[in-house]
Amino acid sequence: MQFKLNVRRYDPEAENPAPYWREYNVDVPENATVLDCLIHIREYIDGTLAVRCSCRSAICGSCMMRVNGQARLACATKAKDMQEAGEAITVEPGGNMPVLKDLIVDMDVFWSKIRQVKPWLEPVQPIPEREYLVPNETILDLTVAMNCVMCGACVSDCTSLEVDKNFIGPAALAKAYRFVDDPRDEARQERLEELSDYGGVYDCTHCFFCVEVCPKDVAPLERIVEIRERAQGAGVENNAGTRHAKAFEGIIRDSGILDEPMLLLKSIGMNPVEQMKNVPGGVRLLRAGKLPLASGPFHHKIPGHGNVKRLFEKVEAGQEA
Amino acid sequence: MKYAFFPGCVSRGACPELMQSLTAVADHIGMELELMETASCTGAGVISERNQKLADALNARNFALAEQTGLPLMNICSTCQGVMSGVNERLKARPEYLAEINEMLAEEGLSYSGKADPRNFMWVLVEDFGLDNLRKLVKRPLSELNVAPFYGCYISRPTDVLGYHDFPQRGVYLEMIIEACGATPVDYSGKKKCCGFPIITMNRENSLTMAGNHVGEATEKGADFMVTPCPLCHLNLDAQQPDAARVVKTPLNLPILHLSQLIGMALGIDDAALGLNRHVVSTNPVRERVHALPLA
Amino acid sequence: MLEHDVLVVGAGLAGMQAALHAAKQGVSVAILTKVHPVRSHSNAAQGGINAAMEEDDPWEDHAYDTVKGSDYLGDQDAIEVLCSEAPETIIELEHMGVIFNRGSRGQIDLRAFGGQARKRTCYVADITGQVMLHVIYEQLMKAGTQVYEEWFVTSLVRQNDAVCGVIAMDLRSGELHLIKAKAVILCTGGSGRVYEPSSNALICTGDGYAQAYRVGAPLMDMEMVQYHPTTLPGNGALMTEGARGEGAYLINANGERFMERYAPNMMELASRDVVSRAEQTEINEGRDINGCVLLDVRHLDRNTIMQKLSQIRELGLEYEGIDIIEEPCPVRPGMHYMMGGIKTDIEGATFVKGLYSAGEAACVSVHGGNRLGANSLLDTLVYGKRAGTSAVLYADGISSPDIPDSRLQEDREHINGILSRNSEQGERAAALRLAMGQTMHQHVGVFREQSGLEKAQDTIATLKERYRNVSVDDKGKVFNTDVLFALEVGLMLDVAEAIVASALFRTESRGAHYRTDFPERNDDDWLKHTLVFSDESGPRLETLPVTITQWQPARRTY
Repeated sequence: MQFKLNVRRYDPEAENPAPYWREYNVDVPENATVLDCLIHIREYIDGTLAVRCSCRSAICGSCMMRVNGQARLACATKAKDMQEAGEAITVEPGGNMPVLKDLIVDMDVFWSKIRQVKPWLEPVQPIPEREYLVPNETILDLTVAMNCVMCGACVSDCTSLEVDKNFIGPAALAKAYRFVDDPRDEARQERLEELSDYGGVYDCTHCFFCVEVCPKDVAPLERIVEIRERAQGAGVENNAGTRHAKAFEGIIRDSGILDEPMLLLKSIGMNPVEQMKNVPGGVRLLRAGKLPLASGPFHHKIPGHGNVKRLFEKVEAGQEA
Repeated sequence: MKYAFFPGCVSRGACPELMQSLTAVADHIGMELELMETASCTGAGVISERNQKLADALNARNFALAEQTGLPLMNICSTCQGVMSGVNERLKARPEYLAEINEMLAEEGLSYSGKADPRNFMWVLVEDFGLDNLRKLVKRPLSELNVAPFYGCYISRPTDVLGYHDFPQRGVYLEMIIEACGATPVDYSGKKKCCGFPIITMNRENSLTMAGNHVGEATEKGADFMVTPCPLCHLNLDAQQPDAARVVKTPLNLPILHLSQLIGMALGIDDAALGLNRHVVSTNPVRERVHALPLA
Repeated sequence: MLEHDVLVVGAGLAGMQAALHAAKQGVSVAILTKVHPVRSHSNAAQGGINAAMEEDDPWEDHAYDTVKGSDYLGDQDAIEVLCSEAPETIIELEHMGVIFNRGSRGQIDLRAFGGQARKRTCYVADITGQVMLHVIYEQLMKAGTQVYEEWFVTSLVRQNDAVCGVIAMDLRSGELHLIKAKAVILCTGGSGRVYEPSSNALICTGDGYAQAYRVGAPLMDMEMVQYHPTTLPGNGALMTEGARGEGAYLINANGERFMERYAPNMMELASRDVVSRAEQTEINEGRDINGCVLLDVRHLDRNTIMQKLSQIRELGLEYEGIDIIEEPCPVRPGMHYMMGGIKTDIEGATFVKGLYSAGEAACVSVHGGNRLGANSLLDTLVYGKRAGTSAVLYADGISSPDIPDSRLQEDREHINGILSRNSEQGERAAALRLAMGQTMHQHVGVFREQSGLEKAQDTIATLKERYRNVSVDDKGKVFNTDVLFALEVGLMLDVAEAIVASALFRTESRGAHYRTDFPERNDDDWLKHTLVFSDESGPRLETLPVTITQWQPARRTY
């Protein structure tokens, strides 16, 4: 079957190195993957094309790249599924990492972030003579995070990393979860504290790109939310993220509906500097007639909000039991 | 065409113009809305980080309230959509968990069957009402206007949870609606990225950089205004725009419209009824351009 | 000048284990690898790792199953080491953080695997190798071991009678470097790419075999090439033996569980050589479905599949468009593993001083004529540790090598030769590899015989000749994967030559080596290893006795 690929090339040794696009037509079996197409190009059409690849079955994580604008493993992406009538399949290097050549990116930053979360077990002491006894449910839960092949797709398309290189990022946070959730790890509390700090779980913006692009269903965002839940449960509360979540929860508990100004005030806490930063915004909202002051200084509540409060209590009572 | 209408929080809070314009458009196109007054917040992906089960229970309660009306559930917020779809999938996949939650709802006389299909106004408009019908009602095609679509994350991803498999065009509905209104959609890389709202209280700098980047890019690509189906995105893109401009060090002045406002203008609904005066970034330039356009 | 006491080449499980244990002795250790460590092919081991973990399962039983599986070609002293050290190795891994699946008491759970009399396989769903590889890499990060990442060894440096370093290319810059090392440990894995198709990754080009062979270290039992019974027809990807361990059936076009006729007791869980031969017989005799038989898990519980076999379900969906929950999946025998390799003793030492090896690159030999499923991960760890430890002992006793710079020049000239050839007129490495792979699969696969092997020998010789004129499109330095591939193909041709020569030499059938012209096992003449040396005129063959400790050769039935 014929496929047309438009590949973003980059040769660092060119006189004036700059990315450029090159189109290739390949004739490969119908069920060929995008990687098969690239290998075909490299082997029979243009050997100068540089691409990392190895296993061809979505376990080594080498061939992450953007296909039709989204980070994917080329070996787990059927060319047929990517080809839209008359249009070329676009192939580009992954994002948020510097391009070294063609489809090869520099993953040093990726790995430095992985190292940042101290990604090794700090075994609970004393170490038993035999294996630690662990419920299988816990193992199955850990397996979700351990499914990660470190391909960097989530990092490539992460919108927080795009604006802030300091963010630890989805892959490293999912990796961190794997230890936070492991009953054999002794450093849990310390980890939760570090992960709640600047650059950590609260800098994730819930954009779901990592969930969408992860080829191994690790769903990093869900792992991040679970770290937040565990951190807050473990009393790691002195951060804007927890204040925000607690304020949010409290407001819904009491009134069933959100009160944005109140949320803002409670989230920022007693920090006059941060409060001042929000004053101009508040004034703008007021002037635009966007704050519900018509209903008076007291926040509106949904009718029958008592039912919501009782639901809160029931869920919590059930969990304490 | 009648819906159990889930208004969310913001349309009753900081974005009253959304409620106003949505109601006006619904009236105009013959869409009946039964307001779910007693429905609570979905938790907006925040309560789940305190307590996932709590968030699930709140949404199950809302679904049950909608089921009591016998009407399909419609929301008007990308975030509400995303949370509802996510919770719904979890409840459907685990009947024993749903049963447990239903026990807690019983006191209020509620029970959720697991069969709801919550959908955003944008989806309902395309899938139920139909764009051909919308085109027929357009009084003032917004020709010559370039409109930047901004979807919001929660209505864009994860696609498997959001029914993109059955409705593959959900990823281009905004563009389709913009075209049906006679305007030209502007393509730019930020249209499905994050507006920054979820971290505005935690990392203001990052949040405003995101908002500023998208508004800046859309402006650069020639957008006359931006349109979004998400009121939370609206807050960050509109109300925070002056601060975002300072953070990205670019002058920004791009009006941000709710989806219902865009449609309302094309339908020829009065500006005041659409709440177009209740914006931080003035919508006057857009309104002037639109009023200068000929009626169809 | 780059210099280490111990340099490990390859960062799969064997390599990282060797490096970790060498580093524990406090000497200067580095790993050199042509891909990032977690891209290594240990990832692909899905099903598990064997160890006699239960009190009523003496390690000797594991050893016996391994000896029998090897068709009595495995060296029993080495097998005793492998199996007796297995349980402690598992516990060590568990303490490192490997998330082995658990049983009802929270203890490590075991699953059934081929060729073994009882359940003995520890596992993590069907991603055991991946989890182990990532966890051991965690330990490497913790230890801060230096890694030459994306470097490629172009040759080993041998001076006098010892290996004392490598010439290697930093792929990122394209620069060639001399790295001195008192001891070099080759953990370069197997050579699946010598065959087409193969379950192996693209990086499995047998670099270490050829490099050791070129400096005089002999390769042992290279004719013993394992065909895995369940690989996908499309891309050769592996469907774990764990599926059969969990109860999957193999059925032919008539819907029969044909293993009844070949291994009435063990059925689908007979050893791999037996099952692959049975499948190939069914296929050759026309009871196939497009050259395949079917792997059927439909009768298994949905939860079992989702929790324990989820990855192969994904592979089926992705590459064959088949949901194994609903439909049986076509599979066929596919080249999978090299039982043979660089001959080492039980301390990982090769015949050349200063040169060590472990894992699939090495041949101790614990797998003999046929490796049991889930023994390869064990091999990497037990012998990786031993090689790392003994290399340090050796390095301790010698002084820093003195290597002239001219040595670097030889490799530079070879590479410049490839670069300077006109790519329009030269040979494409890919075409040479494909021809080699197809020939090997056709003539040196599940069934072999004299005339086919001779054809293969001629073809490989011709390809080697053509290779002298190999050329590349990419003339640059940075990530010149074109040159890298050309170098790999050069190495692979040597490996192919060694395999064919060994297969011609062994005129009997044993384990994975089945000669239709010599269909019986012949203990009188061939209860011995083949050893192949590289001479100027070509491969030279010798034999080596098999070490037998407590299990006398017997008829092998399953």
